[in-house]
Amino acid sequence: MSAPGSFSKPSWIGSGTMILDIFLTVSKGIGLTLYITAASLFFGGIVGLFLAAGAQSRFALLRLAVAAYVNVVRVIPPITWLFLIYFGLPQFALKLSTLEAAIVGFSVIASAFMAEIYRSGLLSIPVGQREAAHALGMGQLTTARWVITPQAFRVALPAIATYAIGLLKDSALASTIGVHEITYFAQQSAKQLHQGLLSFALAGALYIILSLVIAVISRRIHVRLRQKTGVA
Amino acid sequence: MSFLNDWIAWLPQLGPGVAISLQLTGMALFFGFPFGLLLAAMAESRLATLRWISFLIVEVGRGLPALVLLYLLYFSLPDMGVILTSMTTAVIALSWNAGAYASEYFRAGLSAVPRGQKEAALTSGFSRWTGFRLVILPQALRISTPPLAGLAVLVFQGSALAFVIAVPELMSKAYEISSMTFRYLSVFSLTAIVYGLITWLFLALVKLLEVRLSRHLV
Amino acid sequence: MALNLGTRTSPIPISGGVHVSHLGKSYGSNKVLSDVNLKMQEGEVVSIIGPSGAGKSTFLRCLNYLEVPTEGTITIGGARVCADDSRPDKASLDHLRKVTGMVFQSFNLFPHLTVMENITLPQRKVLRASKDRAEEVAQSLLKRVGLPEKAKEYPARLSGGQQQRIAIARALALSPSVMLFDEPTSALDPEIGLEVLAVMRDLADEGMTMLVVTHEMHFARDVSDRIMVMGNGGVLETGPSEQVMSDPSHERTRQFLKAVLDR
Repeated sequence: MSAPGSFSKPSWIGSGTMILDIFLTVSKGIGLTLYITAASLFFGGIVGLFLAAGAQSRFALLRLAVAAYVNVVRVIPPITWLFLIYFGLPQFALKLSTLEAAIVGFSVIASAFMAEIYRSGLLSIPVGQREAAHALGMGQLTTARWVITPQAFRVALPAIATYAIGLLKDSALASTIGVHEITYFAQQSAKQLHQGLLSFALAGALYIILSLVIAVISRRIHVRLRQKTGVA
Repeated sequence: MSFLNDWIAWLPQLGPGVAISLQLTGMALFFGFPFGLLLAAMAESRLATLRWISFLIVEVGRGLPALVLLYLLYFSLPDMGVILTSMTTAVIALSWNAGAYASEYFRAGLSAVPRGQKEAALTSGFSRWTGFRLVILPQALRISTPPLAGLAVLVFQGSALAFVIAVPELMSKAYEISSMTFRYLSVFSLTAIVYGLITWLFLALVKLLEVRLSRHLV
Repeated sequence: MALNLGTRTSPIPISGGVHVSHLGKSYGSNKVLSDVNLKMQEGEVVSIIGPSGAGKSTFLRCLNYLEVPTEGTITIGGARVCADDSRPDKASLDHLRKVTGMVFQSFNLFPHLTVMENITLPQRKVLRASKDRAEEVAQSLLKRVGLPEKAKEYPARLSGGQQQRIAIARALALSPSVMLFDEPTSALDPEIGLEVLAVMRDLADEGMTMLVVTHEMHFARDVSDRIMVMGNGGVLETGPSEQVMSDPSHERTRQFLKAVLDR
């Protein structure tokens, strides 16, 4: 049934079973697509937290280092990062699997973006909040942990969700180093079944659906927080 | 410094790649931005069909990873009997992607122009189109320019994707060198630096532009 | 009563009082506060009045180091801080903030926490109180500011006056030896401000030591024992409320009072 189509026959008019077949193949990649996205968001989110803290530091040198890191990460295209890490690092005897390389690469990228997102979240918290906490005798760390961060997170949530969707789409690049995610399988079925349009249309549909799911979840959380606290 | 020796040897080979990357970016912007404006205008149209077409094009252009869009065109156009070069395919994909994002910025710019301006344009006797062209559009463009400039930088970074369909741009050249020399770290570091420097230059220009624009506004 | 509020009748000044001497603050060559002196006995209520820009808020905020003074000494509740030190050591800073409670013009309740959590958080983190204990204290304070039924609400659902009363309860929860009020009713409609002033009046009657920056001349005259008039970063005069209001000794005080009372 997977007979290669030919140019003379418009093979993109696939039969129902063909569509199902391709869909099943492409959707095998959903797991790793989500895994890369989630893991990179997680690690990048944590590193970004430290970067954002460093950007607030009293030490000019640390602030400078953070700014430099964020800028360097952002001016280099993601695909170049992936290649640098996947092909380049083994030269330091650091052999990473394709999946590990993808997660390291996207975590590095995510950390820079998340740091920026946190930073603007922090900027949106009125000074009075920090002052009130200090006036109540709470120290820097306690204030950061219990007063500032929860509020900054709530402000940053929509931006984090938008970034997560961006990361989901960027994760397609992992196929270029051979990670078995959605785009990789779409490519396989495009080549093997000569069903380019169908394969990538289905892959694209999957990305859009997953993006929508992320958007809906974040929207839910946002609305719930807003209803709970009564703050816009 | 063996790194430096390598780099000096490789730079001439990367040069043509840089030229193609910039060419690709330029074309994608040249086609993508007007396309985005058209999509924005369609989205504001009174005809539901036009609005729907615009919506579909924008959602696919933004919702799909640029890489998937690229593959989609690359693998499916030939099946439909449309034979294009890799470069042309890449230009179409990146223009589509850029146009979809640009349309959002144009729409935001258009909606940021105060209602009163539109009414003033109409009451001063302009036709709908002339009023739009002479009064609304210039103001909207001024608002949209900073995000569009940011988008241009992203399009340049996105041009690296064309590597996967063998457009001989910077990333392809780098890969070519690396697969001959096996000096991956060195090659891709240099590539990263080249991309970084050009992007950084772009960003500096964008900043300059923003400063000038805001001076006009005051 | 769970709180140590002292009493008005205590005959001798004990460690609960406030003693500020030669306090000054400047940004570079720009002097915003100079030579401010104030001695308050425990249980005393002092209002600080004066035109805007006089340095009233800056002075108040220096007392718990939200602003860093550049000269002078502050002694509150046994904590003594010399501004000559470039930075006070952490222990005395912590102590200074524990013995002062501050109420802000803009309330500054924590919007992501319920009223109950707003009042228990500092107790738990600063005093290391148990959850039960902190809630017990919070509940009794809520009763005291007349809002016992609001424990589970979030600040955004309360009126400005209610929020400010909660902010007072939150500051009281650490059993401070002096309460600092920075224009507590300025952000409120006058009639809403009254409910806050009523709580403050009760607090004064119960013997709390209070330092209040205010534009409420009635409150200044009726509730406070003394009034300190500030102008241009310094103290114009300090005296018993009645006397300052009816027979001020400084010409600028007279002008200021005339201007505000005529309004």
